Amino acid sequence: MNRGLYLIKRLLLAVPVMLFGLTLSFLILYLGPIDPVGTILGRQATPEDIRQLRIQLNIIYPNGEPVPLWDQYLRVMWDLFTLEFGQSWTVQRQTPVIDLIVGRMPATIWLGFWSVLIALFVGIPLGLYAGLRANTYRDYFASGFGIIWRAMPNFWLAVILAGLITAGGALDWYKDFIVTTTVTGTPDVLNNLFTLYHVFEGIPLLEALAIPVPNLIPMAIAFKWILPAALVLGSSSMGNEVRIGRTAVLESINSKYVDTAKSKGVSGRKIIYKHVGRNAIIPLLPVIMGEFYLLIGGSVLVEQVFGINGLGNLFFRSILGPDIPLVMALVFIFVIIQVTVNIVQDLLYTYIDPRISLEDTQ
Amino acid sequence: MSETTSKSIREDLTQRDELSLYTRIANNPRPFFKWAVPMLVLIAVEFPTYAGVAFGMLDAVVIGVTGLLDAAIGLVSSGLSQTIRDAQYAVVGVLRDAGGFVDGLPTLFSREVIPNQGYQTGPNGPWEGTFLGLEPAYAWALRATLIFAYALFTAYWVFRGWLVYRDHYREADWTPTDDIVDNLSNHQWGKFGIFVLILFLTMAVFGSALGPTTVEQNIQSPYSERINYFNEDTGEVDQVFPGDANFNSKSKGSAEFNVGPMSYDDYGRFHPFGTLTNGRDLFTFMMGGARITMIVSALAIGGAALIAAVFSMFSAYYSGRVDLTILTTADGVVSIPRLLLLILVSAVFANHWIGNVLNGGFLLAIIFAFTTWPFLWRAVRGPALQVAQEEWILAAKSYGQQPRTIMRKHMFPYIVGYLLVYASMSTGGIIIGLAALSFLGNGLGISPPTPAWGRAISMGQDYVSGPSWHISLLPGLMIVLLVTGLNALGDGIRDAIDPEAGGSAEGEEAAAGGGG
Repeated sequence: MNRGLYLIKRLLLAVPVMLFGLTLSFLILYLGPIDPVGTILGRQATPEDIRQLRIQLNIIYPNGEPVPLWDQYLRVMWDLFTLEFGQSWTVQRQTPVIDLIVGRMPATIWLGFWSVLIALFVGIPLGLYAGLRANTYRDYFASGFGIIWRAMPNFWLAVILAGLITAGGALDWYKDFIVTTTVTGTPDVLNNLFTLYHVFEGIPLLEALAIPVPNLIPMAIAFKWILPAALVLGSSSMGNEVRIGRTAVLESINSKYVDTAKSKGVSGRKIIYKHVGRNAIIPLLPVIMGEFYLLIGGSVLVEQVFGINGLGNLFFRSILGPDIPLVMALVFIFVIIQVTVNIVQDLLYTYIDPRISLEDTQ
Repeated sequence: MSETTSKSIREDLTQRDELSLYTRIANNPRPFFKWAVPMLVLIAVEFPTYAGVAFGMLDAVVIGVTGLLDAAIGLVSSGLSQTIRDAQYAVVGVLRDAGGFVDGLPTLFSREVIPNQGYQTGPNGPWEGTFLGLEPAYAWALRATLIFAYALFTAYWVFRGWLVYRDHYREADWTPTDDIVDNLSNHQWGKFGIFVLILFLTMAVFGSALGPTTVEQNIQSPYSERINYFNEDTGEVDQVFPGDANFNSKSKGSAEFNVGPMSYDDYGRFHPFGTLTNGRDLFTFMMGGARITMIVSALAIGGAALIAAVFSMFSAYYSGRVDLTILTTADGVVSIPRLLLLILVSAVFANHWIGNVLNGGFLLAIIFAFTTWPFLWRAVRGPALQVAQEEWILAAKSYGQQPRTIMRKHMFPYIVGYLLVYASMSTGGIIIGLAALSFLGNGLGISPPTPAWGRAISMGQDYVSGPSWHISLLPGLMIVLLVTGLNALGDGIRDAIDPEAGGSAEGEEAAAGGGG
């Protein structure tokens, strides 16, 4: 089977997977004990208002007959897949859901980007280091960190870190370190990270294209602001990377191809880069990809503690609302991200390790 | 092949008669009695505690399961669902009566035998009502130490029972389990995990005797009975409701409103972990939380492991389309991040009857089981596929053995070890997820006033740097300890099953603690 076919097959398989997740959410929201009319209109609604709203929400037909569940289901799914997310019920009434989501996106993307990156740049080198110096005190130190990082609940770490940074804590100095920034809340600089330059002005079609150029000072401020939250969100992945990286190095360093390379006289540095490091990445791949999974769930808690106005926080508020259109739209987005990450992971596998045949990875 | 010939072949090969366990014990009763009599004593002295826990869990499971059945059958026939409801009332009534009865029975390490709650009769006067007139702190420490020692010894004695069985009554001289146990007993890190697990199970079972006060008196109904205390202002012994005493023992982050760890409040009550923001005892709160945490995670991981075991054997035995269907279902379940699904379900069902069984824990256990099995299934599918290709499976198939029997007898024993490894590691994630929900509050997680670890962390959120640091820090450290212990246990079992493989990475990201 070639790669193209494999990709098509994976994409086809993704359809039932997505439908499963969305259907589950639909059933919970529409069969569960939520009263949408009461939520939107409150208690003092006139029967006529209620009737109008029910028709509008596709709960009853204009002639008063109830709309069957499968009909509601098809309509909800159709709207989702055609990206018609509708209007928010309670979080911000009458606001299009898509506007709410787009407005909250930068904070979460910024948080997710740094939490993945920090975890990668701390976790993997530390794991490889521990593996190369196996069973020394340095190894025990690094592995010990990994073990504890893995076991620490994100929300607790966030509470402790946020508490230490606020006034009077041991990390009080962080707020005024180099530049004074806030550590909780969402700063305005986030909307100012890039300047768009329209370099193709005057040229038809290309005119619309703009090149984003990073603004260094807002970037630095935003980085300093997000660092504690990103550290927390990346912590458990960091622990996993240390641990898996260590065992992966240990496994490949004792393998025959490393012995062969040594006997051929390949330099130690080259062995580590070309033979040990490369093979150690394979078991790390699911951990790195798993970060996205942890990230989406974890962002709810971390954003809650650090007061970040992101998607996780929006999801939490929309569920408490309850704001069904917003919840469905967010679940739709999260499910798409998750399914995409899975497909990318399987494809990457076949590139990194050709021994894994395309049939096996099904 | 007939039954008799197979038996005679077996006897030929093993030079043994096939005797029942009962006959084997009757032939050589000494080792059995040397083990069984102390075991009976160990159980008898704390029997009401064990029975109470068992009745409580049964109660929750009966209500939850019959409730779900009722809802499912109610869609079809209302008469049948009424019968189920009647049965539920009857069974729960019996269980509650039995629970109430055993609750009244005395136990050896109870707070009545070694009381720690007392009052001083003068400014520096002797303590009244405590064990041997000891200071409450020492009386409490004595009782807690005795309970932990008892629990550790009982755990050892249960293990010893297996040793007695192995050495005196088992037919086979050696089984693979022997090697696994030997490997594990040489594995320091794994033994640390077992120790931690026993520690927390002890807290869950003996929680009400371990705390310096009880959940009922201190948290659930603090205005039902007064306690004595020495009033320093009047110089006399006064009476106060625990609720009023709590009000004046709050930890609010300032020097005058704080009762830290290992200290007394103004009412002569000892607080090993300090008090919460509402003046309740943090240690008692943590013990109550330990019980609900352990029950929910045990139900959840048990359910998840069962589903994963059945599905992985189905995957491996039938492969092809069955495997693909399970794979798609598993991916579908995993496609919604677990915490989001948990928040969704527990928010939607917050005021529903199912959200009240086991203080909300039953519903959470179901969702955790539902969202955890795909990870376990992924991890165990590999070993299951391997064993499905072994010759003995082919042989069993060609003899015409039923698929169910093949899976149970020939496949399950092979995968159960792997299942234990990943189950142990995934439990950490469940515990953290449960605490995370209670941390978020707003009707999610375990419903108050039932103690939950996450709620304690959330209470102390504003006091992390200050005198009331204990409120958030200590519960979190306990979670870290428990999760580390479970990971260590998983490592230990894995190394014990397969000492050659220095830890395969596959599927371990699934077991990641964090996420919450």
